[in-house]
Amino acid sequence: MSETLLKVDQLVKSFPITGGLWGREVASVKAVQNVSFEVKRGETLGLVGESGCGKSTLGRCVIRLIDPTSGTVTFKGQDITRVQGEGLRELRKKMQIIFQDPYASLNPRMTIGAVLEEPLLIHGLFPSAKDRKDRVRELIRLVGLRDEHLSRYPHEFSGGQRQRVGIARALAVGPELIVCDEPVSALDVSIQAQVINLLMDLQQKLGLTYLFIAHDLKVVEHVSTRVAVMYLGKIVEIAESEELYKNPLHPYTKALLSAIPIPDPRRREERIILHGDVPSPVNPPPGCHFNPRCPLASEECRQTAPELKSYGQDHWASCLKIKAST
Amino acid sequence: MSDLLLDVKNLKTRFRTDDGTFFAVDDVSFQVRRGRTLGIVGESGCGKSVTSLSVMRLIQNPGEIAQGQVNFEGRDLLKLPEQQMRAIRGNDIAMIFQEPMTSLNPVFTIGNQIDEAIKEHNPKMTADQVRERTIGILRKVGIPAPEQRYKEYPHQLSGGMRQRVMIAMAISCDPKLLIADEPTTALDVTIQAQILDLMRKLQQDFQAGMILITHDLGVVAEMCQDVIVMYAGKIVEQGTVEDIFYRPRHPYTKGLLDSIPHFETGHKLDRLQTIPGLVPSLLDIPPACRFQDRCPYVQERCRVEYPELRALNDTQVVSCHFPLNGDKA
Repeated sequence: MSETLLKVDQLVKSFPITGGLWGREVASVKAVQNVSFEVKRGETLGLVGESGCGKSTLGRCVIRLIDPTSGTVTFKGQDITRVQGEGLRELRKKMQIIFQDPYASLNPRMTIGAVLEEPLLIHGLFPSAKDRKDRVRELIRLVGLRDEHLSRYPHEFSGGQRQRVGIARALAVGPELIVCDEPVSALDVSIQAQVINLLMDLQQKLGLTYLFIAHDLKVVEHVSTRVAVMYLGKIVEIAESEELYKNPLHPYTKALLSAIPIPDPRRREERIILHGDVPSPVNPPPGCHFNPRCPLASEECRQTAPELKSYGQDHWASCLKIKAST
Repeated sequence: MSDLLLDVKNLKTRFRTDDGTFFAVDDVSFQVRRGRTLGIVGESGCGKSVTSLSVMRLIQNPGEIAQGQVNFEGRDLLKLPEQQMRAIRGNDIAMIFQEPMTSLNPVFTIGNQIDEAIKEHNPKMTADQVRERTIGILRKVGIPAPEQRYKEYPHQLSGGMRQRVMIAMAISCDPKLLIADEPTTALDVTIQAQILDLMRKLQQDFQAGMILITHDLGVVAEMCQDVIVMYAGKIVEQGTVEDIFYRPRHPYTKGLLDSIPHFETGHKLDRLQTIPGLVPSLLDIPPACRFQDRCPYVQERCRVEYPELRALNDTQVVSCHFPLNGDKA
C-alpha cells in the first residue's frame, strides 16, 4: 500500500499571454507554481481549491494532457515529463481521466458501444472482434449500465448515466491511475451519491489510484485518503483527510472549511468570511499569495513567500503565522 | 394575518411541446411572510424555477400558467393587466438569477443598468438623484469604490462582484419580496459565504420576504425558516427548516438528506445512501405517487392512489400515504 505510484516534483505550468503587433509574450498566467506531492498506490488524493487555483491544470499536467513548463512527473519510478510518441501512448494505458461535463466529453455521433470500443482499438487491446465486444459488455456492466445501452447515443442518457459511460471509457484500457476532474459537480445530489459510490466500489475492486479534483470539500473529504488544498497555483496545505478537516492549520483552509454551508439549521455559526476575490494568477501578490485576504497577514507575509513545512505526521502547510496562531 | 405577503394557491404551469403537454408545476400552494425566507429545494427539473417565474409572470411560450392564484398583498397577480404587472416587477417583487454574467447587459455600464431600474419605477427622480441612489446601493452591497465601479462594464467585474451588482439591482427599489434563484450556485464557496451573508443582512434591514431556490441543502439550512421540497412538479413535503432537517417525513426528503456527504460523521469512506433510479420525465410520470419507482417503502396503494398533501401537525405537510416516523437520518 505504501508504494509511491506518482511523484510530482517542483511542477510549474505557465500559459503565455501574447499581445502587441508581433504577438510577443507580454505576460504569463502562472497556473501552477512549484507544486510537489506524491500519490501512493491505491489511495485517493483529493485536490481542492476555488476556480482558477490551478487544480485542473495540475491534473492535466500530471497525465501529460498538457506539457508542464518545468519540473518533473515520475510515474512508477519512470520520469514521464518528456515522454513522447509511442512511449506516451503506452503511458495513456496506465493513466486516464474522467471529465466534469458528461455532456461535452462524449461524441454525440458515436454509440456508447463505439465510444467504449475506441480506446481498445487505439491501443490494440483485445485484437479479436469478439473479445473486444465481450470487454465492452464487461465494462458497461461494471459501471452499472446494461447491454442494451451500448447501441444508444449519448443524448439518450441522463447526466448521471453519461458520467457512468465516461467512467467506463476511462476504465477500458485498464489504467492504474485515474484523474477525476470534478466528476460529480454537474450532477444532482441523489445522482452524485450514486456516482461517488460507484467510483469507490471500482477503486476497491480494481485497485485504482485516484487524483480526485473538486471544489466541493464535502465530496473530497468523503472520498479521499489525503487532501491537498490549492490556492493560486500553489499547494498551501496537505494532510490526511481526517486530520485536515479536524485540524486545519492554514488560514485559507480554515476559511474554506468554515464557508461551507452545513445542512443543519441549528449550526448557523459565525463563519470566517474572507474579503475580496482570488487575485489574478497573471499578477499574483508578492510574498504569500493569500496575504491580501488573510486575516492574519502582516508585513513579513507581504515580503516572504512561505514554504511547505511539516507539522506532525504527514501534515504540511505553508504559512508563516502557524506557530504564532496555534 | 397582516404579515402574509404572498399566497400562492393551486398554481399549475403547463408546457406544450412537440412531444406532448406536461405540467412543470402541478397544483402548488405556498405562502411567504414578511421577514421570512422560504426555501424551495429539489433536483433539476422538479419545477422550482418555473414556480418562481410563474409568480413573476415571466413564463414564456410554449409555457403558460394554466390555473391558480398568486395573491400578493391581497391582489391576484395573475388577473392584473400586463401594464400593472410591470409596475410590480422589479419594484415590489424583484428577482436575482443564477448566472450574473448572462443576466447583465454587456454593453452598458453597471451604473447605467441600475439607474434604468430606478428610473423605470421612479420617473420623477432627477438624473443626479438616481445616480446618487445607485452609488449608495452599490456601497450597501459591499462593492468597493462604488463611484469608480459605477462606470465599469460587467466584464470588468469578478463573478462575486457581478452577483453583488445583481443584488444591488434587485434591491434598488426596496422590494417587498425578493426571489433568488440559485443565487450562489455559480460561485466559489468563499464568495458564496460573502453573498449569503450579504443577503441575510439586507433582508434584516428591509424586512422583506424572500424565496430562495436552491439545490444545496446546506444553503437552505443556513438561510431559510420555511422549506418546500419539490419532486417532479409537486410539493412532496413542506415545513419549517427544523421539520425538514430533523424530522423528514417524506422518503424523498430523507433520501436527499442522506445522499449528501456529511462532515465529522466518522463514517468516512463508507458508502453514501443513494436514491436509486432517476427523476422521471415529466412527459411520462408514473400515475399516483410520482416517487413510487424510487421509493424504498413503496406499497400497492402508492401505485394506484395519489397521496394528497396532508397536515401532520401545525407546520408540517406531506404527500405520502406512509410517512416516515420522523426520526432524524
